[in-house]
Amino acid sequence: MRLKTARKVGIRVLPMGEQTRLAAKVIAAHVEGFMRLECRVLDPMPPPDFALDPQRLQYDAGRIVEHLEAHCCDECVKVVGVLGVDLFVPVFSHVFGEARLGGGAALVSLYRLERTEEGRRSAPELALERAAKVALHELGHLFSLTHCSDPGCLMHFSGDLAGLDATRLLFCRYCRDFLPAFAARGQAVEAGLV
Amino acid sequence: MDSKLRILIVDDERIVRESFKHWFANAGHAVGAAASADEALVRLASEVYDLLFVDIKMPGKSGLELLEQVRQEFPEASVVIITAYGSIESAVQAMKMGASDYLLKPFKPEQLNLVLEKIIQQRRLSEQYRYLKGTLEQITRFDDIIGRSAPMQKIFSLIPEVAASDASVLLIGETGTGKELVAKAIHAKSRRAHYPFVPINCGAMSESLLESELFGHQKGAFTGAQQARKGFLEVVAGGTLFLDEVGEVSSKMQVDLLRVLQDKKVMRLGSRQAVTVDFRLISATSRDLAHQIAEGAFREDFFYRINVIQIDIPPLRRRKEDIPLLVAHFLEKLGHETTRKVDRISSGALEALAAYDWPGNVRELENAVERAVVLAKSRTLGQADFAFLQASPAGRAADATLKEVEEAHIRKVLADSDGNVTRAARVLGINRVTLHKKIHRLGL
Ligand SMILES: [Zn+2]
Ligand SMILES: [Zn+2]
Repeated sequence: MRLKTARKVGIRVLPMGEQTRLAAKVIAAHVEGFMRLECRVLDPMPPPDFALDPQRLQYDAGRIVEHLEAHCCDECVKVVGVLGVDLFVPVFSHVFGEARLGGGAALVSLYRLERTEEGRRSAPELALERAAKVALHELGHLFSLTHCSDPGCLMHFSGDLAGLDATRLLFCRYCRDFLPAFAARGQAVEAGLV
Repeated sequence: MDSKLRILIVDDERIVRESFKHWFANAGHAVGAAASADEALVRLASEVYDLLFVDIKMPGKSGLELLEQVRQEFPEASVVIITAYGSIESAVQAMKMGASDYLLKPFKPEQLNLVLEKIIQQRRLSEQYRYLKGTLEQITRFDDIIGRSAPMQKIFSLIPEVAASDASVLLIGETGTGKELVAKAIHAKSRRAHYPFVPINCGAMSESLLESELFGHQKGAFTGAQQARKGFLEVVAGGTLFLDEVGEVSSKMQVDLLRVLQDKKVMRLGSRQAVTVDFRLISATSRDLAHQIAEGAFREDFFYRINVIQIDIPPLRRRKEDIPLLVAHFLEKLGHETTRKVDRISSGALEALAAYDWPGNVRELENAVERAVVLAKSRTLGQADFAFLQASPAGRAADATLKEVEEAHIRKVLADSDGNVTRAARVLGINRVTLHKKIHRLGL
């Protein structure tokens, strides 16, 4: 007979495309620091062809999330896919990331995060900070957090880069309290990054 | 107001419904979806929604047709129309038909957010409007409670104390004593003052009308329910509900109201979705509720729920020293409302007013003053201007029958004992059951 032991939730960051490895590592470091969860970077795999919409030349975020949830997650493993390609959901022109409330998989697209609003390349550190923000925001949704009205909080909804840059790399007091115990507490990195 | 909405997405494409649903769920809203206009109408009939996102192009009934029907039958729901790029004319038409906004698909996530913020803002404004209306009413009516007499002073000192608590209040007093004014004063001084004061006269409506007024109804809940309607229990949202003549509420309704007071939830007629409500209840009665309980016409458990704090409002004949003050107040008020310049009253007239019994209380006095002013021939009201007031029935004509005298006497004794049957029976020297029978027979 084997004793059942409760496994802790672990996060896997999946680089979808070679060029996203660095971003994946940065995201993993932030997840460990902010959520005190074990977080590993998986071997890269290319973004799935079936998600490419031939008319829009963008990838369908919903279909990739469904794919990852079917193949890479269980109740103890949540996955964050990091992509270099542009993502959309049917009603929106684009999304920076995608996750469903209480779901298993989240996505972050670097495509728009690496650019300025005018379309020029932005500084790499800024792009990585944005990727970390989007990843933590989407992970918040996986842990059942909804949007927050505090414009400085990571769970605040921002649809454009200006809004995203205006949020701080911090969960507000309330969102922190609502993150379940296993994902919460100790914002170790907080002091160094704001 | 809560910035979380109940949203219904109406689109024939499953994938569009899904992506909306996820986004709104992430934002913390409650979301439902319908694949056609007809399915949307079925859902609207059984559930409450604040906001609809409607695709303009759907097989079967179009989005515009749905919009038209929603505007008519569920006017409190806001509608946002979704249309494809290149069909801006239909969006314009939708706005003319009463849509709150439109979105051209695919749109930036930020745009959806802006639309939502705008809708929440609009809903908040209409709520503020209701609140402002409520406050204005308080300002103009609050100072109508007039009195220097000891019983009134006691009530004045009670009002702030009662207002500070959130307990249910029962006001007991004859008709015309100003129960609604006291209720308004309590509301105005309470933490709920920024929210509506909703008065309902339970005696003035049939049971079924009262039920739909209080609880609201879905479209088609009964014959004639052409539109869904919020009940007063929902409309009062945060404010004070004033149930006048609560003794007239049927036993069935007492049970329903008791449940609302316990659960703080209501369900519209024909709906299965409970809506949380928050209000303070003030009830009033001119009847002897204890007597009604004894007869089984009023539920004891309901009585204890509504009667946490009891305030007795004295009849005017018990505070006749307030009459000159009240007359002065009414004259001033009438001076603003009419062109007639009547601003004085003779001492003889005041004596006549003091001699009268005022079965209709302050309201009767106000009507009497108004009538006298209209008929007055000078700027001073004299005794003759009040000749229409009948002398108090007990001291009336020698040609009355024994029955008339008995009725008048019972009426007077009952009034003097504030409707307390036990006390009145003692004064009359008969037992309580006999008095009850007489009251019943005489229809008092
Ligand atoms: Zn979000
Ligand atoms: Zn927050």
